[in-house]
Amino acid sequence: MSWSEFIYFAAGSLILWYSGTLLLYRAKKALWGNLLIVAGLTLFASFIAILWSSMDHPPLRTMGETRLWYSLFIVLVGYVTYLRWRYKWLMAYSVVVSTVFVLVNILKPEIHTANLMPALQSVWFVPHVTVYILSYAMMGAATIAALIALWREEGKEGDLFALIDNLIFIGFGFLVAGMLMGAVWAKEAWGDYWTWDPKEVWAFITAASYLVYLHASYAGISKRKALIIIPLAFIMLMITWLGVEYLAVAQESIHSY
Amino acid sequence: MAGESKGKQETFISELLFILAVTIAGFALQFVTGALDFSIFASPVNIMLAALLLALAFVKPATTVGRFGSGKVSVILLVSITLMSLYMGLVPGNDVKHSWPFAFTYLMIMANLALTMGRRLRNFKLKRDYSFMLNHFGLFILLVAAGPGSADMQRYFMRVSEGQTEWRGEREGSQTPEELPLAIALKDFSMEEYSPRIALIDKATGETQPSGKPSLLESIEGSEGVISEWAVVVDTFDYRPRMAPRAFITATRKADNTVTSGWVSCGNHFQPFSVLDVSERLCFAMTFPEPKKFTSDVVVYTKSGIEKKGLVEVNKPLTAGSWKVYQYSYDTRAGRDSEISVFELVYDPWIKLVYTGIILVMLGSLTLFWKGGKKE
Ligand code: HEM
Repeated sequence: MSWSEFIYFAAGSLILWYSGTLLLYRAKKALWGNLLIVAGLTLFASFIAILWSSMDHPPLRTMGETRLWYSLFIVLVGYVTYLRWRYKWLMAYSVVVSTVFVLVNILKPEIHTANLMPALQSVWFVPHVTVYILSYAMMGAATIAALIALWREEGKEGDLFALIDNLIFIGFGFLVAGMLMGAVWAKEAWGDYWTWDPKEVWAFITAASYLVYLHASYAGISKRKALIIIPLAFIMLMITWLGVEYLAVAQESIHSY
Repeated sequence: MAGESKGKQETFISELLFILAVTIAGFALQFVTGALDFSIFASPVNIMLAALLLALAFVKPATTVGRFGSGKVSVILLVSITLMSLYMGLVPGNDVKHSWPFAFTYLMIMANLALTMGRRLRNFKLKRDYSFMLNHFGLFILLVAAGPGSADMQRYFMRVSEGQTEWRGEREGSQTPEELPLAIALKDFSMEEYSPRIALIDKATGETQPSGKPSLLESIEGSEGVISEWAVVVDTFDYRPRMAPRAFITATRKADNTVTSGWVSCGNHFQPFSVLDVSERLCFAMTFPEPKKFTSDVVVYTKSGIEKKGLVEVNKPLTAGSWKVYQYSYDTRAGRDSEISVFELVYDPWIKLVYTGIILVMLGSLTLFWKGGKKE
């Protein structure tokens, strides 16, 4: 078993996920939708399991291998969130994001063999990055919802407030989890959990901005006015995200090891 | 009604003024004494500060001090620390993290958290308050241990040769060795590398071919591949101790079946590299082998009598008491032949509390996931 068989497993899983998600939208067939999604998850996970057992180490070393895990986890968490909150669109969204990662792995296979410097070879790498991506997805959705709510006339926001708050709370949970896993990892790799390097500073700014939103009602800021904080915080998130990319490149060029 | 809300407004303004005054005092101190010397928080000051902050949890909410635990105060403080960290993240070369106003704001946040926890504890209902408590108590512990607590952290670097035992280390940022309360005996240093790779290089620009989408061949005996219009075979691969890796490769141009073969090597600190020319413009070369893993087999001794054997690797430090030993570096000129290992030694007596805080806040984020935006 190797990467050359990936395309069959991936195509199978994606077909199951797309048709399952489509069936979720038809309330009567929700059971079939659930079954197909779980089947897709199982199929995808079995590729990872087989690949794992055919290698002498868990497939966690190359960028291609980490993308493999994102593709699975994004759908998994999207699905668990759907089970809890019944947001079908979030399920659909996570399948689309997963598709992007699967396509990158199929179309840019040369990246599978990229070498991972020792500091990146950590059990924290995948959960840390995956959880951040999930948070990013939630906050992206919340930002869109907030912009829609602001666009609407005051008083006609409907149930958008409840949706936005749910997304921000869940997304913030992921954001904090990602940050703390990063801290634990940094401690293991470099001996310090927090050094205020630029990437950490921006992660902090992002979290603090969302905290302002979470606590805004205490300062007498109306729900509607508080919505303005969301796109601002999302800009901070984007800067952190691009900063992380930039720093990942910068790290590879440091020859301190 | 109107009178009541006016009263609230006034107290709110007094808290705002207080925060403003403390922040301005911070700027004044910064102006007069320069950056905050963090070592003033070293034990026992940080322990006393932590106790003082915890004591705030017993202050009655309705008092002047107690009102500082309100949600309004938290919003002002959060906005303030966000602005300061924006400055930290935007202006190059600043030292905000060691500045008085930043430290004072951090302090006020800890106070606000302690007070608000105390208020909630007075009338605690598990089902209503568990999420709040995990998040705010966890964060409080984390902020105390990672802030003032970290003033007790010590960090040294130690170079040890194979077969030697070393007691001395250099403090971060200093060159003078000091005797430490722990010693490291290095039994063996070993290193695994990724295989070097064969690349086709444009001699004028140094760019790896095909340009924009470089293709590389792993340099292992027998590996075959296509790079641009050449079919390449690695006939032999030779990598002996103290020698640079080298490979004998055969490249066949597909258009006219011309065959070129010869040795390529990336060289090392002592030997020159060699390339195989295939045209005026292009040559085959070997990339440096990248480190995959480096490991030190050590015994750590502490003055208190702990003896600990084990392997130290990047991402896998060894713990001995309150010390952690990290694999930091090696003799990079010798690469995998290095007979020296460099360790980073970190002493951090508050680390357990940091992890406690991290675990509590992690559990807190799980509760957020579960509860969503529903207000209790
Ligand atoms: C992990 C980070 C944090 C999370 C998830 C969080 C979440 C929350 C939530 C959900 C509430 C509302 C509770 C309710 O409605 O009953 C709240 C209240 C509050 N938070 Fe936070 N918060 C965090 C950090 C902070 C920080 C850093 C501060 C201080 C600057 C703070 C100060 C407060 C205060 C004062 C209240 C009001 C409590 C009350 O009036 O009963 N929180 N927080």
